[in-house]
Amino acid sequence: MTLIYFGCVIVSVLTWFTTSVDLGFLARPLLIEPGWLDFSLMLFFLTAAFFGGVLQLYNLADRGFSLRILIDVEKTDSHPIDADWLIVNYGGGKGLTWMYEKRIEGLLATKLVDRKAENIELTSKGERAADVFLAVRRFLRLEPQS
Amino acid sequence: MTLDPILATLIVVAIWFLVFVCLHIAGLRSGHDNAQWLVRSYAACSAATLVCVVALSMWRDSGQALLLSLLIAMLSSTCLFVLYVPAVYTILTSLSVATLILLRRGGGRMPESSLYERFATRGIIQRRLCVLVGAGYLVQGAGGFSLTPRGRAFARGFAFMKRLWCLEPGG
Repeated sequence: MTLIYFGCVIVSVLTWFTTSVDLGFLARPLLIEPGWLDFSLMLFFLTAAFFGGVLQLYNLADRGFSLRILIDVEKTDSHPIDADWLIVNYGGGKGLTWMYEKRIEGLLATKLVDRKAENIELTSKGERAADVFLAVRRFLRLEPQS
Repeated sequence: MTLDPILATLIVVAIWFLVFVCLHIAGLRSGHDNAQWLVRSYAACSAATLVCVVALSMWRDSGQALLLSLLIAMLSSTCLFVLYVPAVYTILTSLSVATLILLRRGGGRMPESSLYERFATRGIIQRRLCVLVGAGYLVQGAGGFSLTPRGRAFARGFAFMKRLWCLEPGG
């Protein structure tokens, strides 16, 4: 995904530098001046569309817990479901244990945790991340204040 | 010295987005429902942004220049919003984040089985089903939970997207 992003940035920058400012048809009041502002805005819009748009949609489609529940329910042909059904059939029949295993594997892959024998242990990177999340959640009053 | 109209527009957007973030945080701290509060506070601040941009441009620009300022204001505000929301939801709802926090609270280490007992349980599913009912995607009847028309459209849209990206069935 990062490679795709940088590819898009390179194409956009090349397009920006090789085309005329008014693209041959834009009226003068519709041009952003100075040029550096136009260029910065172009990069900002591209970055936001990529990381806030495409990448988020991809993550949601790939890992969204609530979304997957909706898709699983949709596949039942209007038969009502309950929590017990989802424990077994979540994720197209893979089950809830598989769902959490995927999260643990993600944390292991990003080196936020380590697996040591039967235990899962925070790495120093994981500790720092957890501290930041805890501080934010405490600030938002979502955690018990200590 | 006069400020460039687009730069002035961006400053207005930044100020109102900051107001929105402060409002959203204040709402969360006072226990407001996140989704509703998020949408309402953003809608109010977006409207205020556009009003300010129009007011700022009226004595100087009109027609196409005003149109450009409004377009830039809407685009930049939307961009900031789509970058802000995923960060908020990660902190609020991510199971991976909840796992890191639980591990930190437990001294940095826990048996893997305890984590599964905590996060791969009926309770997690039940809570998420209730959130989906609250959001209007599911409805609870005598036989269990079923999709609302909105939930069905949402599920079908994303199922299509999963096929498009060739993603595996799981979530």
